[in-house]
Amino acid sequence: MKSWKELSGASFFNATARERAVGMVDEDSFTELLGPHDRFTSPHLPVLGTAVEFDDGMVTGVGRIGKHPVFVISMEGKFIGGSIGEVNGGKMVGTIRLAEKVAVRIKKKHPDEYEQRRPMVVISFETGGVRLHEANAGLLAHAEVMDAFQDCRRKLPVVCVVGSKVGCFGGMGFVAAATDVIIMNEQGRIGLTGPEVIEQEMGKEEFDASDKALVYRTTGAKQKYIMQDCNYLVEDTIEAFYLALAEVADKTLDEIEGMRRIGSVKLIEEQMDIVKLVGDMQPKDAMDMWKYYGNAKPEILPELSIREFLQVAKRRVRG
Amino acid sequence: MALQTLEFEFQDAAPKTIEKEWSHLGVTGSGDLEVLMEKKDLAGKVKVKVVTPVIGFDTVWQKMLQKFVSDCHVGNVSIEINDDNATPIVVYMRLRQALAEANEKGAEK
Repeated sequence: MKSWKELSGASFFNATARERAVGMVDEDSFTELLGPHDRFTSPHLPVLGTAVEFDDGMVTGVGRIGKHPVFVISMEGKFIGGSIGEVNGGKMVGTIRLAEKVAVRIKKKHPDEYEQRRPMVVISFETGGVRLHEANAGLLAHAEVMDAFQDCRRKLPVVCVVGSKVGCFGGMGFVAAATDVIIMNEQGRIGLTGPEVIEQEMGKEEFDASDKALVYRTTGAKQKYIMQDCNYLVEDTIEAFYLALAEVADKTLDEIEGMRRIGSVKLIEEQMDIVKLVGDMQPKDAMDMWKYYGNAKPEILPELSIREFLQVAKRRVRG
Repeated sequence: MALQTLEFEFQDAAPKTIEKEWSHLGVTGSGDLEVLMEKKDLAGKVKVKVVTPVIGFDTVWQKMLQKFVSDCHVGNVSIEINDDNATPIVVYMRLRQALAEANEKGAEK
């Protein structure tokens, strides 16, 4: 495996789940929990004749960023599309619950220094949602994860990181939306029903999944950034994600709460306003929304580098 | 159609074990595989366990693994492979990469 320094400069998009997990925390600080050597494979896949993986397609563990313990969950999209089943779902829930327990302990031991030592949960999503081979257990895991998020609220931040090939779709699109903070690179995509499925169900006129430009400006990070559905848009290096995470780790809990998109009556009203606006406007393309929010020439935005984009893009005003 | 498990044993004339206690490489992606190597006292032998959905290629596995053991002089190593339809040359390449990873200096697990 690459050294931490090599990983730091490497592309996040091309990195494996384990490389991402190691590179998003301080050098030499990552300890994997339930790694491949523990051989916790899915009991459901062999009976269906599907290949298994020793870590069930998910890397879980703990590292540090400064004084903050960072609980990392990193999904591997190459294994059955990063889908969530019983074992990796359990690993995910277990890691978040562990972070909660550690938060309680730190608060007790260092009541005056909690903010500086506060743990954080970081989830690198690369998934299409539920693993259909073990659908009920996978769905249950989604629910348990969202439940655990709620228990973490106002105690420790839960951060969603998206920037890998598969993106974050299906039920996990909901889960990502329920986190406190979302960090994406340009290649990152979040959605519910994936482009291919929309095309298959509703036809090419509704959504042409082979039109990559259309797919990216509908589900991609620039669109999410303008709509305030993602909080940080960063360059495609593991270091860029690490730096954004370090910034989030030091924010106050009030600031973290202010970055959420859902989770209170006020936030739901804000979302409903967007639904109403879209109903009234009937946009034909994401660019219509970009124009509405003050981008006079929306067609130039997809071509801009992240640096240029961050300088000129106008975002929806929150509230 | 269930997954099948194949087990092999090899003995090289000049076997050498790995540096790390254990080492892991790869992802069970489509057309790919993952390898878990573990140092074990097997009287110089190499034990290989392959879990694969592919049926009818036992001889090909045997030949490819034999080639790997003879080329690299491996011994006292237990190898476990989770395969998802990898071609023989991919199997060989991943095994060589896994061995390099298992012998990497410094980062002892």
